[in-house]
Amino acid sequence: MTDPKSQNIDVHATETGFKYHRGSALSIFKSDRHEDIMALIFAATIAFGVYFFIN
Amino acid sequence: MVYTRKSPAVLIIGLVLLAYWFAVNGGYLDETLKYLNTTRAKPEMIQLSLIFGIVSVAAGLWYLFGPHEEGELDYYASTIAGGMFILALAMIVRWYLDPGVAKLSREIGPVLPGKRFIHDMFGLNYIVLGIVAGMIIVNVLKIPDWAQNGVRLSRLGLKTGVILLGTLYSLGELVQLGKLSVVLIGFFVLGSVGLVLWIGARRHIPNSMAGVLSAGIGVCGVSAAVASAPVVQAKSEEIAYTIGTVLVFGVVCMFLFPVIGHLTGMGHVQFGAWAGTGILNSAQVAGAALAFQPDGIETLKVAEIFNITRVLFLPIIVLWLAVWYVRREESVGRTVQQVDTTRVIFEKFPLFVLGFILMFALSSTGIFAPAQHTSGRYFDNSKSKLLVEKDINTLKAESSKLKRDDQKQALNRLLESKKAMSIDHDTTLRGIVNSGVLSRDANAVLTRAHNAAYQTSKKIAAFRDWLTWLFAFGLTGLGMQITMAAMRQAGGQPLVIGGAVGTVKAVFSLIVVLMFVRETI
Repeated sequence: MTDPKSQNIDVHATETGFKYHRGSALSIFKSDRHEDIMALIFAATIAFGVYFFIN
Repeated sequence: MVYTRKSPAVLIIGLVLLAYWFAVNGGYLDETLKYLNTTRAKPEMIQLSLIFGIVSVAAGLWYLFGPHEEGELDYYASTIAGGMFILALAMIVRWYLDPGVAKLSREIGPVLPGKRFIHDMFGLNYIVLGIVAGMIIVNVLKIPDWAQNGVRLSRLGLKTGVILLGTLYSLGELVQLGKLSVVLIGFFVLGSVGLVLWIGARRHIPNSMAGVLSAGIGVCGVSAAVASAPVVQAKSEEIAYTIGTVLVFGVVCMFLFPVIGHLTGMGHVQFGAWAGTGILNSAQVAGAALAFQPDGIETLKVAEIFNITRVLFLPIIVLWLAVWYVRREESVGRTVQQVDTTRVIFEKFPLFVLGFILMFALSSTGIFAPAQHTSGRYFDNSKSKLLVEKDINTLKAESSKLKRDDQKQALNRLLESKKAMSIDHDTTLRGIVNSGVLSRDANAVLTRAHNAAYQTSKKIAAFRDWLTWLFAFGLTGLGMQITMAAMRQAGGQPLVIGGAVGTVKAVFSLIVVLMFVRETI
């Protein structure tokens, strides 16, 4: 949390001594939307894997 | 910045996993698995330790000998280390710590009537133990540098799990749970948002703080706080206060809810409804549901429907807060910078919720299991093993005990066809078993006929396995993000107001659920 007027939050940035320059303390992605899209891609991959390979 | 650390740790994890695969596959650990009562998990151990052993060795070699330059490859490849760190911890907890604690607890003996052991009472299963292990690591031992970047993958695992959960619902279940959840969630979300705003005004906290706190406490924790922040023009420290409050309250709930659930004798539907209504954060809802029922996902399914219904209220709350904030600020003569509320809703709405709905729609077409399945089981008597002569004689000898015509007809039909012929037929036969009219032997025959007519979908079973590990991974990683410093951020008025409203919501929703929610859906 560098700028108190900003809405960018990084609650763990300095606490563990490790600084993230991308993403936030909770995610490697630059926004929740990106993380959601990746989760959709992973879920779709698993679903199609189950559909084609499990019988 | 180069994120990859030239550490041998991931290579060592990989080699240990491959050694473990060798030991389990070769039967060298059979005695240990038998002692811990985990022989059933042997195929899973062999498969997972081999796959992730190979991945870890490959990643470990890359970390040690690859050229590492700042960029996309370095950034994303470095996260594998943290992912493996969480996964290795989750494996230790699920395969050793959880059964070890259960064994020790059984040896101590029951502590409550009804053979309730310590681990049952406190819900000490792989989910709770994984979260606690993660909390100990981050707060006492510190996460190693090489794993720091990838530890942030845990939420991705949880979101993927929630999306895949959509494959496990049948239309009937969703309709029933959906109706119940809209009523309960609607009442408690709107009620708690209103209560935070009212108390906030009386205690004279800034409107922006009250607005963002009300969304966090009322809707779905962190996502709601972030989504509502622009419309109430909240500052970063106000968002952080809210997240801290949600976190502190959620951690307490995550451990306390399952204990209360067991003590009050709640069923899966009741507990799922309560956790999905009373706990603030999506990840903690999943944690509490799996802590309550670690050996199945019925509770998780109910809790997630409530959780998702709550997220679906987000646009309404954002609109409400936008109007409320402008009125409050203008009433004291301040000018408010206009915010495009529609754009905020569109940009901040969690897409993974839509993913869950899409996955459910896909599953409803019957591509994973027949559309009428319940928890992966569906009626298909074409492969049913027919009742044998001895079974038929047992039933014939007791048929005169039945008084109801529908039950008599159902039993006669079973005696003629030697198998359950339809879902309705099977339901009536189950009714006979539940009525307790027939002897134990006759009921056992009817139960065999029921089991023979129902098949389990292998695809749905595979989804369950994926879900177990995605949630174990996500929640162990979540534990690693619960730091004392993050909790301290709650402090002051937000914690008092948020804690009070959260507690009121949890207590009232418990009363409502116990009074009005039936265990069957």
